[in-house]
Amino acid sequence: MISNTRIIGAVEIGTTKITVLAGELTRARELSIIGVGEAPAHGIIKGAVMDYKAASEATHSALLAAEQSAGTRVDEIYLAQTGGHLEGFENEASVNVSAADNTVSALDTETVCRLAMSKELPEGRIVVHHIRRPFRLDGRLVPEPEHLVGRRLDVSYWTVHGLESKVADNTHVINGFNVRVTKLILSSLASGALITSAEERHNGVLALDIGGGTTDYVLYRDGSAYKTGVLAVGGGHLTNDLALGLRVQQAQAEALKVRHGRGVVQARDRKEKVMLIGDYSVGDREFPRQTIEQITSARVWEIFEVVRKKLGASFTPEKIPAGVVLTGGTAKLPGITEAAAKVFGAPARLGEAPGWVSENLRDPGYSTALGLLHFTLSDQAGRAAPRRRGGILSKLFATA
Amino acid sequence: MSKLATIAPPARTWQDISQEVNPRAMSKAGRRRRLGALLKIGGGILLAATAAWGALEVYRVVAAPPQKLAAAGTEVPLKDVTLVTDGVLDHAWVVRTLALPKNASLMTLDLYALRARLLADGQVCAAVLTRNFPATLAVSLQERAPVARLMAQIGAAAPRALLVARDGVVYDGEDYAPALLNSLPWLDGVRLVRSGRGFAPIDGMETVADLLATARNQAEPLYRSFQVVSLAHLAADGELLVRTKEIPEVTFNTRDDFFRQLARLDYVLDLARTQPDKPLKSVNLADGLQVPVALETNLAAPPAVRVAAPAPDGGTFVPLHLNHIAQRDF
Repeated sequence: MISNTRIIGAVEIGTTKITVLAGELTRARELSIIGVGEAPAHGIIKGAVMDYKAASEATHSALLAAEQSAGTRVDEIYLAQTGGHLEGFENEASVNVSAADNTVSALDTETVCRLAMSKELPEGRIVVHHIRRPFRLDGRLVPEPEHLVGRRLDVSYWTVHGLESKVADNTHVINGFNVRVTKLILSSLASGALITSAEERHNGVLALDIGGGTTDYVLYRDGSAYKTGVLAVGGGHLTNDLALGLRVQQAQAEALKVRHGRGVVQARDRKEKVMLIGDYSVGDREFPRQTIEQITSARVWEIFEVVRKKLGASFTPEKIPAGVVLTGGTAKLPGITEAAAKVFGAPARLGEAPGWVSENLRDPGYSTALGLLHFTLSDQAGRAAPRRRGGILSKLFATA
Repeated sequence: MSKLATIAPPARTWQDISQEVNPRAMSKAGRRRRLGALLKIGGGILLAATAAWGALEVYRVVAAPPQKLAAAGTEVPLKDVTLVTDGVLDHAWVVRTLALPKNASLMTLDLYALRARLLADGQVCAAVLTRNFPATLAVSLQERAPVARLMAQIGAAAPRALLVARDGVVYDGEDYAPALLNSLPWLDGVRLVRSGRGFAPIDGMETVADLLATARNQAEPLYRSFQVVSLAHLAADGELLVRTKEIPEVTFNTRDDFFRQLARLDYVLDLARTQPDKPLKSVNLADGLQVPVALETNLAAPPAVRVAAPAPDGGTFVPLHLNHIAQRDF
C-alpha cells in the first residue's frame, strides 16, 4: 500500500548535544512530532565535524533514539547547518521591464533573480542559502511583481555560503546512517522562523540562537531574512571563562554557570559568596557571586556587541520594532534579555515555541530542531499538488 | 542580445555535494539500515516477479483450461504414433509391439505398461512415451548396437543367430541391414543362461567390444578378417582368442593396450605374407613385446619358442623384435 505520510528527521548537530526530532508529515500538511532523540555531542567543535567517527556515532545514536521513540524509520533528513565558516553577502540586480506596456512578465522576474544569484564564489566554497528579499518595482516594495506595471525591477539576495568540506562533512555524517539529507537549513533561519511571528518578521526583528559553541543570528525586515551570521562563540565560552577565571574544572564551571551565571550583574555585595558544590564536602569552596556574574555577563555582553558590529549599518534599533528574540541553550541564562536590550537598544525577550509544541519540547534548546520541522510544512506548501492523494485504490473508487 | 546570455552560471550549492557514502564509512546502524533497504528492494523485486509469474500462470490456465485438455484426451481417439530413435527400429515395429487397442484415446493409455512392452525387447535400451494432445503418442527410443553375434539352439528348435550388445545383453535384433550383421564376428566360449523370456547378459562383453571397436576404428582390414572371438580364457587368463581368416588363433591380452597388440599383429601378418608357403598357425600377443608365433609346417616342430630366444636355422619360428612398431601406422 502506498504511504500517505513521510517521516522526517530534523537534526541539529550542535557543539554540546545532538538533537533529533522525528515528525510525521501527512499530505494534508499536518505535522505530528512522534519521536525525540538526544545524545551528547562528540567530535564537534564550534559546529564543525572534527572527528568523523565520534560525530557519526553520537549523531546516529540520537537518530536511533528518535526512531525507537517514534517506532518507525526516518525517511529523510532536514539538517541544521551552523559553523564559523559560514558567511554571507548581498547581491543586487535590476532589469528594465521588457514588455512594451511595462507589465512585468515571468521572464523579467526570472532574469532579475538569476542575475542576483549569479555571483561567483571563491574556490572551495558553496552556497548554503539564497535568501531573496522583496522585489522593488520602481522603488516600491512588492512581494510578487508579475503582472504589475513598472519600468525597473530590482531584487537583492542574501547569499549564505560556507566551506564545501565542512558542509560535506556534516551531510556525510547523516549519509552514514544510510539516509539522505533532503534539506540543509541555516540554524538561525530554522530557530528564527519558529520563535518569531510573521508580523514581527515583517516589522523587523533580530533573532539570536545562542548555542554551546556558536551564536547564530538572523535579522528580519520586510517579512524576510535580511541578514544572517554565525559567531563561533557560545555558551561554552562562558563556561571556559569561568573555569579560567575561578580556576575550577570545566564541569564545575558549567555547574556554576547554570546555578549562578547571569547576563547582567545583579549582585551588589562583593562579600556575598556562593558554594562551588553546596554540600560543604571535600573540595567545596566559596566564590564571590559578583565575580561569577561579572565573568558571564562580560562574555554575554561581548557576544551581543560582536553581533551588533557584524550587522553594521543594516541594524539600528529603529529597524527592529519587534526587538530582539533570544533562544538556544544559553538563552536560559538569567538576565540575558536585559543584557540584549541594553546592547541593542531595543526590547528583548526570550523566544517561545508556538502553542502546538508540547510541554517537554518547549525548552529553548529544541528551537532549532523544531524550526526545521516548521520548515517542512512551508516546503510542503511550496510543492506541487499531490498526485496520489488517497493512493491508487481510493483514486479508482473515486472515479468509479 | 538576450539578457540571459550575460548571466554567469550559478555557483555550486550544497546540493552538488555527493551524498553517496562508502559503506565502510557507515556506522553499524547505517550498515544495518542499508542491508535492510537492500533486502526490501530485493523482496520487492521478488514479490513483483512472483506476481508476474502468477499472473502468467493464471493467464495460461484461463487460455487453456485443464478440463478442456482432459476432455480432449478422453474423447478424441488416438490418431498417430510418432517415433524418434537413434537406431534401426521402424514405426511398424513400434506399432506392432505396442499393440494399441483400436479407438483408444490418449488418456486411457497406460504408458507404463506400453513402455514395459517396448523394453521387453533387448534391442531397446530406453523408451520414453509422451502424450501429445490432442491425439498423438510420441515414442522416443534409445537402441542397443550389436557388437557380435552368436548361434544358439533353444530346446529342439532350429539354431538361430542372436546379437550381443556391449553391455552383454543378448537379443534377436530387428531391422538390421544384412551387411552389418555379416560383418559381426561370432562369439565363442560363452554359456547362455536363461533369464525370464530371454538370456542373462554375458560377462566380459565390454572387453570384447573394446577390442572390436579398436580394431574397427584403427585397423579395419584386420577387423574384417575377425571371424570368431572366444571368451573361453577371459575369466581365467584374461585373454581373448580370435580366429581370423588368415590365422586360426590370435591371443590378445586384455590387460594391455589393444591398439599396440593390433599393431604387432599387423606387423606379423606383413612378415608372414613374405613367406606365403609358411602360413601362420597362431600368434600370441599376450606376452608384451615378445610375440610367439607358430607356423603351419609339416616339419616336426619343437614346442613354441620365445621370439627373443635364438631360433634354429631355417626354423619353424620367426624371431621378431617388435620394439620399433609400438606406434605402427595402419
